[in-house]
Amino acid sequence: MKGLAKSMWTTLAVFARKPVTRDYPTYHKPLPERDRAFPLLLWDKQIDEPFCTGCHACERACPVECMTVLMKDNPNHRSVGGNSGRRKIIDKFWIDYARCMRCNICVEVCNFDAIAMNNTWQGHELSVYDRKDLVMDLGALTSLSHGGGITEWVPVVGQANEA
Amino acid sequence: MASEMLPDEEYEVQDLLLNVGPQHPSTHGVFRMVMTVDGELVKDVVPYIGYLHRGAEKLCETMDYRQGIGFMDRTEYLAGHNAELSYVMAVEKLAGLEVPERAQWIRMILCELNRLSSHFMFMGAFGIDVGVFGTPFIYAWREREAIIDLFEEISGDRMMYAYFRPGGLAWDVPTNFVQRVKEVLVSSKTGIKDFDGLLTDNEIFRARTQGIGYISAEDAIDYGMSGPSLRGSGVPMDVRKDEPYLYYDQIKFEVPVGKNGDVFDRYICRLEEMRQSVSIIEQCLEHLQPGPIMPERMPRMLRTPPGEVYVRTEAPRGEYGVYLVSKGGNRPYRLKVRSACLSNLQPLKQMSVGQYVADAIIVLGSIDIVLSEVDR
Amino acid sequence: MNTHFIFWDINVWADGALRLLMITGLMTVVAMGLIYLERKVLARFHQRVGPQRTGPLGLLQSVADALKLVGKEDLRPTNADPWTFELAPYLVFIPIFLGFVVIPFVADWQVRVLDLGILYFVAASSLTIVGWVAAGWGSDNRYAMIGGLRSAAQAISYELPLVLSLLSVGIVAGTLNLNEMVQGQSAVPNIVWQPMAFFIFFIAALAELNRTPFDIPVGESEVVGGPFVEYSGIRWSMFFLGEYAGMFIMSILAGAVFLGGYEWPFGGELGRGWQVVLVGVKSSIFIFLVFWVRASMPRLRIDQLMGYAWKVLVPLSLVQVLLNGAVLVYGGPKIILTVTGLAGIVFLFWITDRAVSKPRVRPANPAMQTEAAS
Repeated sequence: MKGLAKSMWTTLAVFARKPVTRDYPTYHKPLPERDRAFPLLLWDKQIDEPFCTGCHACERACPVECMTVLMKDNPNHRSVGGNSGRRKIIDKFWIDYARCMRCNICVEVCNFDAIAMNNTWQGHELSVYDRKDLVMDLGALTSLSHGGGITEWVPVVGQANEA
Repeated sequence: MASEMLPDEEYEVQDLLLNVGPQHPSTHGVFRMVMTVDGELVKDVVPYIGYLHRGAEKLCETMDYRQGIGFMDRTEYLAGHNAELSYVMAVEKLAGLEVPERAQWIRMILCELNRLSSHFMFMGAFGIDVGVFGTPFIYAWREREAIIDLFEEISGDRMMYAYFRPGGLAWDVPTNFVQRVKEVLVSSKTGIKDFDGLLTDNEIFRARTQGIGYISAEDAIDYGMSGPSLRGSGVPMDVRKDEPYLYYDQIKFEVPVGKNGDVFDRYICRLEEMRQSVSIIEQCLEHLQPGPIMPERMPRMLRTPPGEVYVRTEAPRGEYGVYLVSKGGNRPYRLKVRSACLSNLQPLKQMSVGQYVADAIIVLGSIDIVLSEVDR
Repeated sequence: MNTHFIFWDINVWADGALRLLMITGLMTVVAMGLIYLERKVLARFHQRVGPQRTGPLGLLQSVADALKLVGKEDLRPTNADPWTFELAPYLVFIPIFLGFVVIPFVADWQVRVLDLGILYFVAASSLTIVGWVAAGWGSDNRYAMIGGLRSAAQAISYELPLVLSLLSVGIVAGTLNLNEMVQGQSAVPNIVWQPMAFFIFFIAALAELNRTPFDIPVGESEVVGGPFVEYSGIRWSMFFLGEYAGMFIMSILAGAVFLGGYEWPFGGELGRGWQVVLVGVKSSIFIFLVFWVRASMPRLRIDQLMGYAWKVLVPLSLVQVLLNGAVLVYGGPKIILTVTGLAGIVFLFWITDRAVSKPRVRPANPAMQTEAAS
């Protein structure tokens, strides 16, 4: 009976504490900058084109093969009168968010820091009625960065904190 | 006499077959056991596994070492760091990599935190199995949430971390890491105290768990059990003590051991282990120094010499071993995960036959299976 | 033939029908309120906030649930026994409904004053067990059957201590009429004379109501809801309503029998409004206790449950009845009853501790063990 009293005392003590509920749909927990939702492409605002050159590095490194990349000659390259230094640029890009397992490898292998993990709530709230709606095309992948809605965090693998 | 009234030719007396799972609230996932019950007594248990089989081992053979890390998380979703650790340690051993000191300490802290969160999960689910309405589960989630939030701040993900790399860590922890860990430890201590108060001394809880699901030390060893389920039977086997990996040899901690080998002892071992984990983390924090987290020279694509290696670590549920065969190149030739849960599940029949239906449920709860680890 | 109904004299049949209608309405509203309350209180025990989306503070949650349940399809498994399956909810619902007849809410507010009120209440409310077993048997589901049989065993065992504890109060009060019993407590509530009987009543009531730690028939983690497994929609909600109405009625009864119902022990006449508040407070204490116990206790096992009833509660309540009789017949100060009652509670604690501190390792059937090992 002593133990029963102890249990009841414990629950009563918890009863007096403040609830820890996070009222999710109305309250969104502030996400840490490293939060990994799904990969998206970053937008080079200076030249107004994606950073991505379509080099297929991420596509090859992806463990679940959720990416499809097509590259083209950059119509905005200096040689044809544009202002961009990129000779090749991304033409089409699909990421199947339904297949992606958010391992961050695509971000690590990218040589141009062109891809990052979405660390906003928009990356987490992706309910759709049809799983083919989760295959994101280039427009959907760049729109967040193009609109300036993301402060991306692109880690350098193996880099230690400054002491 | 009943037998005279019911002639055998017309009425065949059958035992009831009770199909528990795969969709049953207390099978901890998609586990199915077919119980033969005589009234309330269990006469036979036939477990069926494989509902969550995804072929993670085979998948890893088609991928290079870095790509495999993500799959290791998924073989043990409640203790991803521990599962990753076994894998990356196996790769390191094979490739002969020296891991910097800071990375090792951080690995230790994260693994022990993961042990805490996994044991909290056990406490919650076990409390539900024993029949407390929701309370332990919510306590468990409350504390687990704090730990998972910390993991999210460090690695970016809440469950599938993919944070350890062969050679060290993917990236360094945030600068407020030490302070955040201390905060989490404070809340975890509250949680441990709450569980202790809620369950340990509760007479009904004791009546339900003591003397139930007995397994002797010899049988437990024969079945290949490990982790708290084995230590509950009184075998002080802990990989952290017996074959210290990381820096466990520099840390003072005890291995809690049970006496009776029943459900209660397995519970109390886990509770005590949580306290030990807290103390381990506190000691690790003192050792943590700034420094590199990866070896100086890491190849862009990791290749290993031919060879085979078996590395085991103490995951929350027991010995999590990775057997890795390489024929050179950048991917394993064969990867085998020695899962603690699968071995711990073997004596289920011996432990639950002759008990009541309700006891069979808590026996299953007490060995704390994670079906993704059983089936892989 | 006319009777007096609130303000008017009306036909006796119309009077009966009106009173029953009032009770039905009251019961539904009270049950829904209790469901809401339980969810809120349990949420606080869990450090959550509970329902909050429907209406202010989630007050309409029960209404929303009820509407959803009414709108759901009324399923019946193909192999279920149609009559047993479909009638079982009524068999659970109606006896509780009948129990309301004698409950004294406040002075002069009850359907009928019966001289054997307690006996009637106990007899009526124990009929729910038929419904439980019928639901378990009729569903053609093995979990349901195990649950139904567990429920039968449990209800039969705990009916005895419940009745005996009420009876021992009846001996002290000198009546089984609930109204007179309440009025007899205008000075001292019965709990003072019969603390052990209250304790036994509380435990037995928990078991009768299938509340934790005695929720074995519906044990969520073992038999997944027991007899209710196959029910859905309106029939399932009738079980649920029955459960909460049972809790309400049991708490009012506990208030009336042990805590003095609508009587105020400090003298002075109470208006009807204050009486309602008083009864509400007294039954709320009981209900809160039930919620609290639910949040902190694990579930007992069926054999422990039966053992506790037959080896501890029934003998103790019999001793209490015997003692009450002896004190009444041979005279003596009533304080003896208080002292022995408290001593009885201590004994109850001690014997529970003793039972737990020496857990018996049940020797498993050797034949089974060898079979399993092989």
